[in-house]
Amino acid sequence: MGNSSSSQKISAQDRAILDLKNQRDKIYQYQKRITVLTDRETAIAKECLARNDRRRALLALRRKKYQESLLSKTDSQLAQLEQLTGQVEFALVQKDVLFGLQQGTQVLQAINKEMGGIEGVDRLMEETAEARAYQEEVSQMLEGHLSTQDEEDVEDELEALRQEVAGPVDLPAVPHTVPQSPLPAHPDEVQEPAQEQTEAKAKTKARTPVLAA
Amino acid sequence: MATAASTAAPFPFPSTYNFPPFFTPQPNNTTRHSQLQKWSSLIQAWCRHHRTYRLSLVDAVDTPLFHNAVLRKRLDLGEARAIVDWMTKSEEQGGGGQRAEWIVGAAAGGNAAPNSVAWIWWRRPEEWADVLTDWIDATGQRGVVLTVFELVQGEATVSQEFHGMDVEVMMKTLNVLVKRGKAQVFGNDGGEGVKFF
Repeated sequence: MGNSSSSQKISAQDRAILDLKNQRDKIYQYQKRITVLTDRETAIAKECLARNDRRRALLALRRKKYQESLLSKTDSQLAQLEQLTGQVEFALVQKDVLFGLQQGTQVLQAINKEMGGIEGVDRLMEETAEARAYQEEVSQMLEGHLSTQDEEDVEDELEALRQEVAGPVDLPAVPHTVPQSPLPAHPDEVQEPAQEQTEAKAKTKARTPVLAA
Repeated sequence: MATAASTAAPFPFPSTYNFPPFFTPQPNNTTRHSQLQKWSSLIQAWCRHHRTYRLSLVDAVDTPLFHNAVLRKRLDLGEARAIVDWMTKSEEQGGGGQRAEWIVGAAAGGNAAPNSVAWIWWRRPEEWADVLTDWIDATGQRGVVLTVFELVQGEATVSQEFHGMDVEVMMKTLNVLVKRGKAQVFGNDGGEGVKFF
């Protein structure tokens, strides 16, 4: 951490600001000196009055007046200097803001370039639209194909499905015919016809999906 | 610049100050050590109260610090010198933790005798550096150029502890910050400025 490495951090602006501030400090010191002087003049005037030396008292007061005018002059100079320092510091802040904006813009531009510019985006959007239109066409064609060719098969399948769904609803009526017998001796025999029926249905069902596909 | 204008409130002396043997070198080693420690903290507290950074022993022997008017007891120059000398040594050397430092050469003020003026470090420059950094952070003044005069005498620092600090102590403090890489001192002699990072 020697002088050489860190002195690079001091820019010309920093030196200029330091000069300004040093001037301001000098004016401060000058004002302090003048204030001490005016206080002394007042004391001298009082002393002279006590000794009945009107002339000297007046002289001291005149000097005091003059010094006070100097003080007010330096006040305005001080204000100017401080204003200037403030402006310089603000300008530096503005420079930083500008630099930040510049950086941000560059990044944004780089990203835009990566996306291939407006034409690229346009083209991409067009291509996307085209692809989607194509897809739509294909699906419409497929839809139309199905509705004309296999309308009947679809209807058949619907009927089969309806029967399948409605079938079990009809079934509960069967047990009512043999309420007197103690227990079904061969439950398999009773269920056999029903099984046959479902098997037949399954056959028709197996055929339809192939056609549908 | 030996003593800044004494503050309104009187300095509260510790109870040992009213204990006569306090002003006589103690022969017993243990007692001596405790005596030195008490004197060290008294000197530091006194200097802190009066915002004194450099203590001239010749002048100080006549101040209430070394001269108890009520007891009519005083510390002579040799003994005061011995105490400050003890304060300059680090604790490893059996001293008072480097709470003082003799000022040598021209800085001591002309042709003053050696070991007559000393910095009293009631805050060492390293500790001042922390205070300064805290203030810079709290006021958002990183990257701002400030003059040393502004730091010590400026209106912005009136409420700060380092206001009215001895310029040399301020320079030592700033040099600590420079070594830490937290500041850079620049500008010519008498118009030094500092930029904080």
